[in-house]
Amino acid sequence: MSILIDILLAIIMVYLAIQCLLTPRLIQSVFLFFAFGLGLALAWVRLGAIDVAITEAAIAAGFLGVLFLDALKSFAPKVSVKQDNLEDIYKLPRRNIKSLILPRVILVLGLALFLFIALEAVWMIPDGGGLTASAEALLPQSGVEHPVTAVLLNFRAYDTWLEIGVILLGLLGVFVAGGIKLYKKPGASKPDPMLRQVILFVTPVLFLFGAFLLYIGKTGPGGAFQAAVLWGAIGILLHLGGKPIFAMIPRWLFHLILTMGLGFFLVLGFLLIADGRTLFEYPPAYAGLLILIIETLGAISIAAALTAIYANLNQMEEETNEVEPTT
Amino acid sequence: MNVFFIIVSVFLLLNIALGLFRVWRGPTIADRLLTTQLFGTTGMAILIVLAGYLQELTLLNVAITFNVLAILLVIGLVKVWKIKKGDTP
Repeated sequence: MSILIDILLAIIMVYLAIQCLLTPRLIQSVFLFFAFGLGLALAWVRLGAIDVAITEAAIAAGFLGVLFLDALKSFAPKVSVKQDNLEDIYKLPRRNIKSLILPRVILVLGLALFLFIALEAVWMIPDGGGLTASAEALLPQSGVEHPVTAVLLNFRAYDTWLEIGVILLGLLGVFVAGGIKLYKKPGASKPDPMLRQVILFVTPVLFLFGAFLLYIGKTGPGGAFQAAVLWGAIGILLHLGGKPIFAMIPRWLFHLILTMGLGFFLVLGFLLIADGRTLFEYPPAYAGLLILIIETLGAISIAAALTAIYANLNQMEEETNEVEPTT
Repeated sequence: MNVFFIIVSVFLLLNIALGLFRVWRGPTIADRLLTTQLFGTTGMAILIVLAGYLQELTLLNVAITFNVLAILLVIGLVKVWKIKKGDTP
């Protein structure tokens, strides 16, 4: 009977994915992508992967939606003030069909290859459940009670460490592209009273719920990345409300916050090596405490990186808008 | 009781499918935004129903995550809208 839900969900998601790619209007695409993210979160729930569902919900609903909407600004051509109808602005220009044949062939071939690899990967899953049994057996030594957190922050801590590094690299890419000036703009617009109330109300909720998700990661689904998106949302909200948070704190503090998670992980790894262990092999007695510290510092760093990515991209666009005459 | 949960979930999913029509047609941007918010709300409802069905209370965390972050999309869109209309420089 519950297969009815799954079938309906699958149909809706495939339809959404096709529509999202084929729709002629970019703004429609953004909204369809948001809906697709929601469907994906529901699908993860049906598959029993609640950790992934929370991450998907946080990133698709919060961060990516705002980033895409922001990107729409720079895709839009010059608009006259009179033009109220936003719909037609985002229409893509029609191209010559002939020039698109080669990219399409390459795309189809690539997708076919990807599908083949995916099918192969699904086929190759061993019957015994892979490493599940050995991970479960070592769970008491890991310092946490939730197997996903144990794998992410203890057994495969190296991967998580590099993941934090990848987000930092993304931010460096934004910096290199020219968005490093984080000064406060002198002619900033007046704060909207309603937006101010919303921010005053939502910020504590976001902070508390993020902290809750961070702490609950010890015993159930949740953890640093999910908490980081919620905390990053605070930064983005403040930025949208005309209070660029990184323009208010000194530069060294900003850099310290950004690199704190990666740095603590690294120093801890070296200290463990100096103690005669391997990299990220925590002593079982302190494992729980160490994981909590790593997760907290990592979450703050990731949240700061997400906010900075958004703020810098936003600022780059504002600068381009100033240079180009918008009539 | 299980049948009840499943019927409610399927009904809510059908609601989402109907709402897709508005995203596809939606004469103005506001229609699409409101539909997306409807998706968020309906998705939360489905998650809560599924939490009862699967006896998995952590699903409520997923629902709250959606809930608290839905506001970001609205504010982001209103900002884009304002700039496009020329209300703010």
